[in-house]
Amino acid sequence: MSFREKSAWISVVSMAAIYGYYFWSVIRTRPHGHVSFGLLLATIVALVILQVVLTVAVAIVSPREANAPRDERDKLIELRSMRVAYTGLATGIVVACFFGAFDPPILFNTNALLFVLVTTEIMRSACQIIQYRRGA
Amino acid sequence: MGAIRNEIRRLRFEHGEMTQQQLAEKIDLTRQTVNAIEQGKYSPSLEAAFRISAVFGKPLESVFHYSEDE
Repeated sequence: MSFREKSAWISVVSMAAIYGYYFWSVIRTRPHGHVSFGLLLATIVALVILQVVLTVAVAIVSPREANAPRDERDKLIELRSMRVAYTGLATGIVVACFFGAFDPPILFNTNALLFVLVTTEIMRSACQIIQYRRGA
Repeated sequence: MGAIRNEIRRLRFEHGEMTQQQLAEKIDLTRQTVNAIEQGKYSPSLEAAFRISAVFGKPLESVFHYSEDE
């Protein structure tokens, strides 16, 4: 498994786990009030720390691959994944705007857009993994 | 839909059992990409195909073949 594929796995797993917990907290406290910006900040910090630690660990195991620049296949896979993710992002924003027209609380809008962003980022990394598994 | 086949595996063997990693380093690709090309899962760019051919000292058509029926 290449370093780029491992990075994509790190992205998928860390985002699904940490933002999964965040959105679960949002849904759990939904009837009563709000989720603090402290939780969102803690989520972002935890995600950055987890991704940095895991990426450094993988880079230590295979330093040569980690330092190698992206080749043409890596770039092609990245571009294809971006195209899929962009379609998802555009669709998600249109759906979020539709629900936004019903004048929901600002917290809903914020979390809806964040959910779209996280989902499409996971989608992008998942597309990379699928293409690396298939060969290209 | 056609497919691009290649003789890279055989040529590596004939060139002192060159490893995928050694070939990858000569043509500035990753070992995984060389493996994908060799298995016919990824069609390289024209530039990469020429670089691979140059490593083996063969013309392009001796390394890569296009078959219409596959």
